[in-house]
Amino acid sequence: MTGSQLGFSEIKCGYGDTQIIHGISGRVNAGETLGVFGRNGVGKTTLARTLVGEIPLSAGAVSLRNDDIGKQLPYERRRMGLSYMPQTGLVFDNLTVRENLSLANSSLSPETYFEIFPRLGERLDQPAGSMSGGERKILSFVRVMLEEAQVIVLDEPSEGVQPENIECMQQCILARQSLGCSFILIEQNLSMLMTLSSTLLGLESGRVVFESERNTCDRSDLLSVLSL
Amino acid sequence: MATLLILNILWQVSVLAIVTIGLAVVFGQLRIMNMAHGELVMIGAYAPVMTSLLGLPGYANIVVCLVTVGLIALLMERLVIRHFYGRAFDSLLATWGLSILLRETVELIFGRGYQSVPQYVPGTFSISGTDYPLYRLVVMAGIIPIFAGLYIWYRKSKIGVEIKAMVENPSLAQACGINTSRLSAGCFIFGALTAGVAGLLLAPTIRVEPMMGLDYLIRSFFSLVIGGLGSFEGLFIGVGIIAGAQSTLGALFNQTYGYLFILILSIVFLWLRPDGIYRRS
Repeated sequence: MTGSQLGFSEIKCGYGDTQIIHGISGRVNAGETLGVFGRNGVGKTTLARTLVGEIPLSAGAVSLRNDDIGKQLPYERRRMGLSYMPQTGLVFDNLTVRENLSLANSSLSPETYFEIFPRLGERLDQPAGSMSGGERKILSFVRVMLEEAQVIVLDEPSEGVQPENIECMQQCILARQSLGCSFILIEQNLSMLMTLSSTLLGLESGRVVFESERNTCDRSDLLSVLSL
Repeated sequence: MATLLILNILWQVSVLAIVTIGLAVVFGQLRIMNMAHGELVMIGAYAPVMTSLLGLPGYANIVVCLVTVGLIALLMERLVIRHFYGRAFDSLLATWGLSILLRETVELIFGRGYQSVPQYVPGTFSISGTDYPLYRLVVMAGIIPIFAGLYIWYRKSKIGVEIKAMVENPSLAQACGINTSRLSAGCFIFGALTAGVAGLLLAPTIRVEPMMGLDYLIRSFFSLVIGGLGSFEGLFIGVGIIAGAQSTLGALFNQTYGYLFILILSIVFLWLRPDGIYRRS
């Protein structure tokens, strides 16, 4: 894992006595995106939650810029530069859009993102709970993008989002990549994965069944994993 | 007569508000049903007695109160409470045990007898021909800016946003970099300190004794049941109804009718409207 922004080695984890992840390894370098895909229920979200510390490791190691973070709590990992956009429960419904964004603790101005996602800027003082599912995704996405993290874990960011906004999300991710930020992108949207990922990891039953550089595979390889 | 009744209602509302705010924070935000809240009020009320025993001047009351209650709250949180966040019923049993421990400890140190605390602000003030204790008027006048400040702080401050975030979704709050363990501890200690200060303010107006906390706990709890948890609006509605009804019925009939009324009212609310009058969306 030397030299990588985020690396994980032979990690095993699960819920209680049920093991979901059976020894997965991977890494992402600065300015790159590791795309993770697979059918529903193969352990993608469990992997994401383990990387950010929500689920404890039962074996293996996670490192952030060569520092072992396997025992760090989620808020400590966040403060060390690891951000997370969860798949569900992704915004604070009772807080306003402005308050949700204020939790990014960022010196960056959200104005740039309001130009890209104008609906967000128009609804700053409304509760996040009053927004549609897609708008909530965008709000959560903008919050993590404001967090000035070195590594961002995105769990299905495009789910329920309109195509034009998915395109905007991709542009934002590419812009941050060019500044050295790394992403772990968990997605069912193959176009998004193929556009953004430098490396692809396919999961099945908590194990890696496909691993490839983006430029050595195509869409049909990914589809073959999804049809396993 | 009418002026006195109104002033007494305002006094009861003020007193109950300062006692209830701490319970509202601890129960409403952390879901800790703190049965020891009344004992923290009681320990705050004993602060002038402790100050006197230590030979310290009267103005040290507030320091003695904050240090004593703060240390007790810190120990409670680190040793017991932190294991019960979000587990209202379990915390009820645990804090019930703590309330007995605190009460017995105070009894062991100071005895069962009543302690009298001298007035901090002696004298009376005449309003519409009615002489009313000046101290009560000072406390009532002081409470308004304190609550206004707390309201603005909770609504506008960064910590207020973090508390609301933690209460709604602790997991996401952690992912946002919020140390929820420390924030919960801070909220608990803040709630305990307000209880202690309430006791200190009440001390000259009541008989200070080890069992005094129970009455305040019950009325605070009923206020939150009727008003609703998690908002200043609910807190004031509940406190206004409980203290207002109890004072009015107590003045018109006797205290027993006042207690009976709030008991029946609370049962009705628990049965028909368990979220209270002011429900948050």
